[in-house]
Formats: sequence, structure tokens, C-alpha cells
Amino acid sequence: MWGHYNYGIFIVMIAAVIAFLALARERDDLHKLLLIDLIEILSLGIIALLGTDLAEALILPGLTVGIAELLALSQIYCTKEGIRSNPIMGLDIEVIKKADAPMILSIFLVVYGMILSGFTGGAVAGLGLVVLFISRSYREDLNLLEMASGISWALWIFAFFIFMFLPGFWFVALMGAAIGILLKVTVKMSLVGTMWGEQHG
Amino acid sequence: MIIRRISHFLCNYENIMPLFAGACMFLFMAGILLLPIQYSDSQLYPKTIDRNSTLDPYDRGGPPFTQVTIADQYPDNSPTAGLVTSFLTPFSLWLSQVTHHMGTTIVAHPGGIIDEILYNTRGLDTVVEATILFVAFAIASYIFRKV
Amino acid sequence: MADFIGGLPYYILEFGDELVYFTPYTITLFLLALAFTLLAIISRPERQMDIAFGGDAYRTKDISISEMRFRRFMAIACGLASMGAMVTGDIFNFTLFTAMVGITNVGIVAAVKSPHVQDAAYQYGLVALSATVPLFAGAAVYAAATGSLSMIELMKGTLPAVPLVAKAMLVTGVVGEGMAPFYAAKAEMFRAPGAPYVIMCSLSSLLIFLRVVEVVMLG
Repeated sequence: MWGHYNYGIFIVMIAAVIAFLALARERDDLHKLLLIDLIEILSLGIIALLGTDLAEALILPGLTVGIAELLALSQIYCTKEGIRSNPIMGLDIEVIKKADAPMILSIFLVVYGMILSGFTGGAVAGLGLVVLFISRSYREDLNLLEMASGISWALWIFAFFIFMFLPGFWFVALMGAAIGILLKVTVKMSLVGTMWGEQHG
Repeated sequence: MIIRRISHFLCNYENIMPLFAGACMFLFMAGILLLPIQYSDSQLYPKTIDRNSTLDPYDRGGPPFTQVTIADQYPDNSPTAGLVTSFLTPFSLWLSQVTHHMGTTIVAHPGGIIDEILYNTRGLDTVVEATILFVAFAIASYIFRKV
Repeated sequence: MADFIGGLPYYILEFGDELVYFTPYTITLFLLALAFTLLAIISRPERQMDIAFGGDAYRTKDISISEMRFRRFMAIACGLASMGAMVTGDIFNFTLFTAMVGITNVGIVAAVKSPHVQDAAYQYGLVALSATVPLFAGAAVYAAATGSLSMIELMKGTLPAVPLVAKAMLVTGVVGEGMAPFYAAKAEMFRAPGAPYVIMCSLSSLLIFLRVVEVVMLG
């Protein structure tokens, strides 16, 4: 009756009880956010206990939802507490000081896209070049990143409809989705770039 | 009046988080008491591990552009399911022939069972997931620009 | 034939493993969500007045165009998420739509500048974020115990019974995302100006709560 699955669930549930007890007793707003970030891992643990390929595919949406909400909430926290510029020790590299980090990261992505694969990587790398050119006119606002996030979203929806209604063109859909995920990664990485660039600018 | 006191307690939004956390705590305690859960043996997309394959943890079950059989819920709805699973880019194909394990980095490369589930058979999940990320990003950037 | 709780489906839309089905129950909720989304698109936001007691002084609160646009965008996204949650035929997909309702609700409220409203939005956002834990855990236990996530399969009655704890987790998660029993606390957020959009918060949480009742009765 008690297979491996139940032992795993038992341990995760005990961890959940402890974590939620800590959350119920916590009074500081920032610590609450950090604790919830830890608790998110428990839900991923329960999904992982499924132990099938399906579980791995379900973890990715679960993880993304947690990260997305954390992003929005931490921004709300900053506004709520009136934190406008948070001096942190950045990397002491000249290119990052000039707020060109998104460009560097784009170059990195282009190179990675080219190494990644042959003819499919062409599309990936070409897209990385587009990102590189757009980010040259990039000046400390999130408009561009929002646009890139929107493009990746549209690509994904497009790929989804091909998969569903024109399954014969699965290869096109796969490439569309692959470029979508590349854009998403690019957006996240250039966000790191803005955070560093902010303090020097 | 008990209802008025409860309402008064809930009125203070500082109290909501501890209340919900407490409720979750009791839920998981009850979950421990209600164990064991009967694990069903007929699972979708079961994991098979072939230690001798060069694509070890994510062996695709065949060469690229052949349709492998996967245990999805409704095979009739996805006639091309299995093609994405076996797909390998030329570079990763070469890598998988030369090295052991290296050819199967799952997230960056297109192809493989995870991509099959995420894009094709359970594509709607990924659409909603991308939308959530988009919405969260819109909220963060709007608040960021406002101040 | 499967035992459909909400009546026989008129139409089943197939997206691979995930079916979208329209029964009389789900189609009613779907149309309700659709109607309110259309209302949010066409209606003009209210303008709140502050009136000083004991005097004749009053002033209209200003709402900037960008704030109004953003909140309308969030209200529409919230409407789409609730429509999706109403008709989806997959447990995990339902939890994702519910999580999206939660975050769009936070977005509708958090766009308001008042620090008091932002504080309330933050607390609500914390609850919505922690509610994803029981939501996803519930869906995972569904999959582990029955071997399927499709609601149509669950209705057929050939699969093993769904454990009680999975249903409890799903309901707790939906309560956390929609904050159904916390209307008293929501009043704090309704102080935010912009009438048609805050109504969307209430309506969406009511709808996902009605839907989860059907979902837990399936297995």
C-alpha cells in the first residue's frame, strides 16, 4: 500500500506544514514574499513525485507561474515601500556601466543560437541579431522588453494553432515555439542588464 | 455577535495572509492523515530510461523524422504526435553520436518528449503559461514606469 | 455514456490532449464572463468624488488615461482568463487559468496610486501566490491517483476514485486565488476608483468558485 510515492508525498507534506506554519507566524512583508518563494518549491515537489515525462512538462508551467507572480509582486513591494533606487554593488565592468548589457547578452545569445544547431540555428541566430539591433536604441525604459515579450507570446500562440489545426506543418510550429522560448530567455536576460545599468545611469 | 467579530477580523487585510497560511497548514496536516494515496499504474507519458542510449535520460525512441509511439490521452487528436519527440537538430545529432549524454539538453534544443508535451499535445497549458508571464511583466513594467 | 454533471455537452473543441467542452452549466458561466468582458470594454470608468463633511467643498479624483487603459487591459485579460477557466476540460489547465485570474486581479488593483490600495493589493497578491501551491499540488495528486487529467475521462467513472485531499487542495487553491470568503477585505480594494474594472475582480472570483464546484463533483 505504501509505495515510494506515498513516502515522498509524506515528506513533502510535512515540509509544507512547517513552511505554512512559518508563513502564518511571519509579520514582515518582505520575509513573507521570500517564504512564499520557498513554499513554491513544495508544489513543484508534489508534481515531480508523479515521476513521468508528464510531470517534467507540468513543472515548467508551474515554475513560470511562480516566477511571474514573484516578479509582479516584488515590483509592487518596491512601489509600496517607496524604494526608487536601490544601490547595490554591481559588476565593475565598463560595458555594463554604459548600460549596454542587453547588447552584450544579445551577442552571447546569437553566438549560442549559432552553436546550438545548423539550419534551425540560423533562424535562432537571425532573431538574436534583430534583438541586438533593436537594443542599440535602448534607453532605460521597459517598452522594448515588453514588446519582445509580446512578440514571443504571439509566436507561441501562432505555433500552438499550427499544431492544433495544421498538424502536417509540425516542423514550422516547432521552430516558431523554439524562437518564442529564445525571445523569452532574451527578455529575462536583458532585464538583468537593466537592473545593473540602472544604478550607473 | 460572532459574525460581526469575524467580519471585523477579516476587514484588516494584514490578517488575511496568516489566515490563509493557517488554513493551508491544516489542509496539509489533514493530507498526512489521509495517506496513503493509491498511485495509479496506468500513467500517461510514462518515463522509460535506457542507460545504454547515448541520449541517456531523454532517449527519443528512434532516428529523426520517424514517428515514435507516445502514450498520450487522445491519440486521434494529435495525428503527428511522436514526430517532435524524435526530432534532433543536425548539431545535436552529431553531438549525440560523438558523446554520451551531451546531445540531450532538453530545454534549449527544439525536439524531445518535453517539447512534444509542451507545444503539441498539451499546448494550451503553455499558451496560458506564456500569457501569465506576459501579464505579470505588463504589471511590473507599468508600475515601474509609473513611479 | 459519461455521467455529465452540468448536462450533456453541446460541443467539444479538441486541443490535443486538452478538450474544451460546452455543457449547459459551463456555457451559462461562459456567457456571463463574456458579457462582463464586453461591458468592461465599452463602458466608461466612473469618476469618484471626495466630499468634505460639514461644508460644500468637493473635488473629483483624477484618473490618468494611461492608468485607465492599463486597468481596462487587465480587466479584459481577467475576463478572458475566466472564460477559459469556465470551459476548459483539463484539471491542470483549469488551475493555470485560475492562477491567471488571480494575477490579473492583482494587476487591476495594483495600478492605483494610493498607498493604502497598494498595501491591500500586495497582501492579496501574497495570498494569490501562495494559493498556487495547493492548486498545482491538487492537480498533481489528481494525475497520480487517476492517471489522467482530462475531466471527460474522470466523468466516465472507469478511473480510480479521486482522493478527498486532492479535491480539498483544489478548492483551497481556488479560494485563495479568488478570495471568495474575504469580501470584507476586498472592500478595501473597492475604494480604488474605476468602477467597471473592480467589479471584474468580484465576478471572476465568483465564476471560478462556481466552476470548481462542478470540477470536484466529477471524479
